[in-house]
Amino acid sequence: MLIKVPSATNSGLHTIKVEVEVDVAQKGLPTFGIVGLPSKAVDESKERVRTAIVNSGFKFPGNRIVVNLAPADVPKEGSFYDLPIALGILSSTNDIKLPENSLFFGELSLDGSLRHAKGALLLALFAKERGIDNIFIPQESANEAAVIEGVNVYPVESLKILLEHFSNEEGVIAACEYKEKDIKIFDNQAEFDMKEVIGQEQGKRAMEIAAAGGHNLFMLGSPGCGKTMLARALPGILPELTEEESLEVTKIYSASGYMPPGGSIIKIRPFRSPHHTTSRVGLIGGGSRPKAGDISLAHRGVLFLDEFNEFPRSVIESLRQPMEDGNLTISRSMEKVNFPAQFMLVASANPCPCGFLNHPKKACTCTERQIQEYRKRTSGPILDRIDLHVDLPVVDTNKLSQDFKVKEPLEDSQQVRQRITKARQKQKQRFEKDSIYTNAEMKNRHIKKYCPLSKEIKQLLNQASAAFHLSARAYYKMIKVAQTIADLDNSDEINSSHMAEALQYRAKA
Amino acid sequence: MGGITNMNEVINIDDNRYPERLKEIKDPPEKLYFKGEWDEDIFRNCLAVVGSRRISSYGKIITNNLVTQIAAAGVTIVSGFMFGVDAYSHRAAVEAGKRTIAVMPCGIDMIHPAYQKDLYEEILKNNGLIISELEGNHPPAAWTYPKRNRIVAGLSQATLVIEAAENSGTLITAKLTNENNRKLFAVPGPLTSKTSVGTAKLIKDGAEIVTSAEDILKFFNVNNFNKQKAGNASYKKLDNIEQRIFEQLNHEPLEVDSLARILNISVSELGKTLSLMEIKGILFKERGKYHVN
Repeated sequence: MLIKVPSATNSGLHTIKVEVEVDVAQKGLPTFGIVGLPSKAVDESKERVRTAIVNSGFKFPGNRIVVNLAPADVPKEGSFYDLPIALGILSSTNDIKLPENSLFFGELSLDGSLRHAKGALLLALFAKERGIDNIFIPQESANEAAVIEGVNVYPVESLKILLEHFSNEEGVIAACEYKEKDIKIFDNQAEFDMKEVIGQEQGKRAMEIAAAGGHNLFMLGSPGCGKTMLARALPGILPELTEEESLEVTKIYSASGYMPPGGSIIKIRPFRSPHHTTSRVGLIGGGSRPKAGDISLAHRGVLFLDEFNEFPRSVIESLRQPMEDGNLTISRSMEKVNFPAQFMLVASANPCPCGFLNHPKKACTCTERQIQEYRKRTSGPILDRIDLHVDLPVVDTNKLSQDFKVKEPLEDSQQVRQRITKARQKQKQRFEKDSIYTNAEMKNRHIKKYCPLSKEIKQLLNQASAAFHLSARAYYKMIKVAQTIADLDNSDEINSSHMAEALQYRAKA
Repeated sequence: MGGITNMNEVINIDDNRYPERLKEIKDPPEKLYFKGEWDEDIFRNCLAVVGSRRISSYGKIITNNLVTQIAAAGVTIVSGFMFGVDAYSHRAAVEAGKRTIAVMPCGIDMIHPAYQKDLYEEILKNNGLIISELEGNHPPAAWTYPKRNRIVAGLSQATLVIEAAENSGTLITAKLTNENNRKLFAVPGPLTSKTSVGTAKLIKDGAEIVTSAEDILKFFNVNNFNKQKAGNASYKKLDNIEQRIFEQLNHEPLEVDSLARILNISVSELGKTLSLMEIKGILFKERGKYHVN
């Protein structure tokens, strides 16, 4: 008897429907075969299914069993066909009727229980798009899928309970209700509060502007001046993800398998800080079955590259196109996958190889030539795509902490964050009709549309262009930064003091 | 390559175009290879500007400031094309659109240091001269530098030392200047800097202390055309905050953060004022610190 069990597979962030056809033949020798380009993990499904069925107290048929995964030309990966295959076999032998218009997805354990699966959210989204009413997925992944309204998500604990559900008129499994949870998905949330960072006022201000407008930021400073500390304080001032952004980020984490069991939607902005020995594939994404890299995992969040000059040139150069487009397509012979990558780059570097150029106490031991060679390592095209550049001086912390004891307490991250959240709201309103969220994402046409400049400011900008030799690209960057400063100031238009402050953060020639 | 080699010419010591002043030294070079247009007028007023390879930001500012004015007044700047003070001197002269002479420590067909090729070409473009007593692709060596220095000193009526460490090659040029009975100038530097040790010693031993370009121009008996600088002209038009910033920076160059703390204004407020003052040319930023122009 032939049974068709609907299921699905994820390729990148894209979901494809897969029909699992199970035929338990009445004639022929007892065999169990899977066709339809199964990978090793899919092929091993046979042993899991057989054992799980037996351990759930059912009889495994001694017939010739053929499983076809259609469409047959798409390579199948993963262990999520266990449940549909087992259901197909059991429903043909035990005469169980599967509900109409449903999807089945999940990996079986040998005792018949179901394991946490990756990509549950994508599956639910797919079900909603296609008008599928019910999805049956492992219990541990159900909360993640239940985020999507309009689809009944049934949490399945084990094969046995699921069959009871089908044979019982009223059903024993209730559809899952979404419960919001705090999930620990990023291990490097704010290690410092902004008020703990003493000195570096301009650095802090640059952080605030960058976080408010989603601008890329480049910090240059001697070892120990506080570059890393500032960057580590950044997560504390980042605004919460908006609903749309949350979904985008959660999709990537779900598809990449980073969602913990019982996962919920991600509300905080990702902060990724890969080490400088990271490979290109690790950073950008790739592999024969393409996976998201750090830049996609930092989508709508921060990608912090400490010791920027130590990253191999080829790795850094590959950031160019995603930085421009906010997404990237990974093409491999097997498949093409598109991942979003709208991240905010925060890079930090030393001013010279020894690190002590401009240091008030330690002498720099580098020659002019070494410094030039070192600076050349930083990619020009990448620097050109960074809106904010800031020099961090070395601070004498003993002296400073005494100075600051006298003064009023410093602003904490929460206060800064409130300002940033407001600025983001202004941006959201501004770009309501466009598919962008932040000032940093503005292309020239957006700038022309949303950032009208008065004659006075145009004149100021032209004078600055002449005095500081600004390029055309730098000219537009300054307008974007000035717009963010205006948003932070809760001003409806850019005035000359916003523009003048923005000029502080121009790239040094 | 053929084109470049053809440009290279040589002048022997018995040639009447050979600079007279160079003949006066103890061991003048037999032959001078050169690139560029040999115009004897270039040797009329020559000032050797020498100093440390490891130039400090103070040194950069001083070199730029002095050399720009001196070159603009028509004095040819002679130096050794090394990175550091040498290169900054040549560059300042070229940027003033004036002639400068680079004496190479290597064969005439080489550029050393090679990465300063753009400066090399700029010098030639501005009717400057590249000179060496070594032919072809002779590599630079420890012994070629002091020999080069004797030409730098020998071509010039006076030598200006900007930043020199103890026992540095710069002091060799200064010594040669004294031996030739030529005028020696030295720029005082902060005593905390290693590169002030040599210049302080020269001043103690009788070099004339330089505090402005006038000191040198008076020696050459030429006028300073570049005297009015932007900074002082707009000084009167400053508003209250600008005035306070100006006074503070006139006292000592500072970073934004320190300046904000001293004046007790927010960095965003200060930043905007600094940008405007920078555009007006009152201030400039060098290695993270703001300076008064």
